[in-house]
Amino acid sequence: MTNMNYAQHEHHDFLNASAEALADPTLQKALVRLTDTLMAGNRKGYAALADSSDLRDHAKRIKEHTLAHLDEYLVQLEMSVHKLGGKVHWAATAEEARKIVVAIAQAAKCRHAVKSKSMTSEEIHLNPALEKAGVEVTETDFGEYIIQVAGERPSHLVAPAVHHTRESVARVLSQHLGETLSDDPKALAMVGRRVLREKFRRADLGITGANFAVAETGTIVLVTNEGNGRLTTTVPRVHVAIMGIEKVIPRFNDLPVFLKLLARAATGQTLSVYTTIITGPRQPGEVDGPEEFHLVLLDNGRSKVLATPFRESLQCIRCGACLNACPVYRRIGGHAYGGVYSGPIGSILTPLFDSVAENPHLPHVSSLCGACQAACPVKINIPHMLIGLRELQHAHKPSRLERWAYQLWSMVLCRPRLYHWAIWAARVILGRRAKAGWIDQMPGPGAEWTKIRDFPAPAAMPFRERWKELS
Amino acid sequence: MSSREAFLTRVKQAVADGNRAGAVPSLPERAGVGYQGAGSDPVQRFIAELANAGGKGYVVSDVDAVMQTIQSIVQAHNARRILLSRGGLIDQFALPHKLKDAGFDVQTLDDMQANPQEDFFHADIGITNVHRLIAETGTVVMASQPNEPRSVSLLPPVHICLAERSQILPDLFNLFDLFSPTATPDRSLPPSCLTLITGPSKTGDIELKLVTGVHGPGELHVIVCG
Ligand code: SF4
Repeated sequence: MTNMNYAQHEHHDFLNASAEALADPTLQKALVRLTDTLMAGNRKGYAALADSSDLRDHAKRIKEHTLAHLDEYLVQLEMSVHKLGGKVHWAATAEEARKIVVAIAQAAKCRHAVKSKSMTSEEIHLNPALEKAGVEVTETDFGEYIIQVAGERPSHLVAPAVHHTRESVARVLSQHLGETLSDDPKALAMVGRRVLREKFRRADLGITGANFAVAETGTIVLVTNEGNGRLTTTVPRVHVAIMGIEKVIPRFNDLPVFLKLLARAATGQTLSVYTTIITGPRQPGEVDGPEEFHLVLLDNGRSKVLATPFRESLQCIRCGACLNACPVYRRIGGHAYGGVYSGPIGSILTPLFDSVAENPHLPHVSSLCGACQAACPVKINIPHMLIGLRELQHAHKPSRLERWAYQLWSMVLCRPRLYHWAIWAARVILGRRAKAGWIDQMPGPGAEWTKIRDFPAPAAMPFRERWKELS
Repeated sequence: MSSREAFLTRVKQAVADGNRAGAVPSLPERAGVGYQGAGSDPVQRFIAELANAGGKGYVVSDVDAVMQTIQSIVQAHNARRILLSRGGLIDQFALPHKLKDAGFDVQTLDDMQANPQEDFFHADIGITNVHRLIAETGTVVMASQPNEPRSVSLLPPVHICLAERSQILPDLFNLFDLFSPTATPDRSLPPSCLTLITGPSKTGDIELKLVTGVHGPGELHVIVCG
């Protein structure tokens, strides 16, 4: 593994992992249910806005502008947070970020941390570092709690435990708590409430991500449906928010532009149940809320991406819509991608943050159908960037076999009679193997292709001959 | 070079390297884009959107009706301990007294001792005022301040809040303009915690089955007065 810090937990075998996912009927059912429901929400959500397309364009332009002045907005954000009595920390790498959070916990003598769902903290592998320093960490999003107890990774941006069933959740929690629990979702959620309430009551450190941060006011925003984000920023005496630098936006009244889109794109809700808009620590006279507020600004590869034509990927607001829309994600689920970020956006972020060479399959895990871009609240041109990554891959490591193949191809293309003959031969050889327009077993080196996907059968009449008839 | 300076230098360089000449966009003005408004009857729109999100709205005309509504919710839950925030309609209606007289175990911020957190964790129902309501989305807006701790609308399993008709804003944009240095130069700073509540606490983490109340209140009741 090239970079222990990065989005990838292990450079795992994509082909095997996806084959496993495809062979798991329970997962297949869960994925269809989840993605169908959320995609219906996405369409309904946009349709409910009178001018959703214009609003999405506007949101995109705000992000474009911000990224083109990112250094200035980060300095402004820092100033605003300082004015409020908060503290800003700069973390160039995941390792620096871990050290910063551990140091904050130690300085404030915190022993019990509660976490609200945060992809950024997943990305930096924060939990093991805190635990090593003697700080107990509890994930408090119910889905994240389930997978923490099960020792797994999230498999969807907004539904981290989608790969679980009621039976498996009951089994995991029963074993962990030493009780026999029923597999009724409501009853299980109430067990979650009871157990996690005790964790909150004892907690002295609250760790969150940030969906957005506002440069002009020093505000950070958390969006949750369960309310664990609120609890995490209400009960503990210290609050640490960790955010990727791309999350900053310029003005306080830019927030509603994104808030109107985020929940609609993710689930179709007008807003998520709780939008928590935090501007500094507790003020004099208030009886709850954290006394200390820390904001950790994380680079961890983002500036590298900022300098390239892949900058657009930093506009992502992590709504999960592209996952739900993607015909590939809908079949293989999140774990197959191997990274913290999965789905179409993960296929871009993981190679960029981690390594293009070490993630050879991800840029190809797409039919380039464009459904991701159509669902995306900031209209990120994901297909375009996937093609860009394929080009990069090619520049990095043109395989000799591939080079020969293309040389041969171009030689044939330059000789019309040879081309004609080759097409005829292919039609004769392949035509015999076709079933209903597809070939599922090719001869020779072509077998590698048909091992994982069918090959379209040659047309009964080549275009060149049809053309003669047509003209 | 400090790590902060090195960090910023790197970002600055990346910004410059990635900015294509002539293609650095200016900060766009929104004009009217995205404004949905609330139609001709913001109260009805609010109540309908709140119901969509799983909350329950009541429009009442006098303090007796307020008390009746609260009592019926409290009785439906067999609730004992009622936690109240301070000021606004709660004081204007003398709710703490009325509820005490009606025989409930009432806890106000004035009653609380050194460790209010324990009281917050033990209440069965929390009653608050609101900062604003948003009709477009059916949202209750809470602003933290000494009279309105974050916990009262969060920790008890049931949240009841009182609002005046005049507190309803048509659109989400209207709320953010109130605190925006850009839109309102003489505005107040945003409070330390501004919370937008749209329905009861929800999770769908197990097989997408909707369960309310996993962390925040499982019921949200909004009483609109006047
Ligand atoms: S790329 Fe777009 S659709 Fe995908 S998670 Fe990010 S914002 Fe959502």
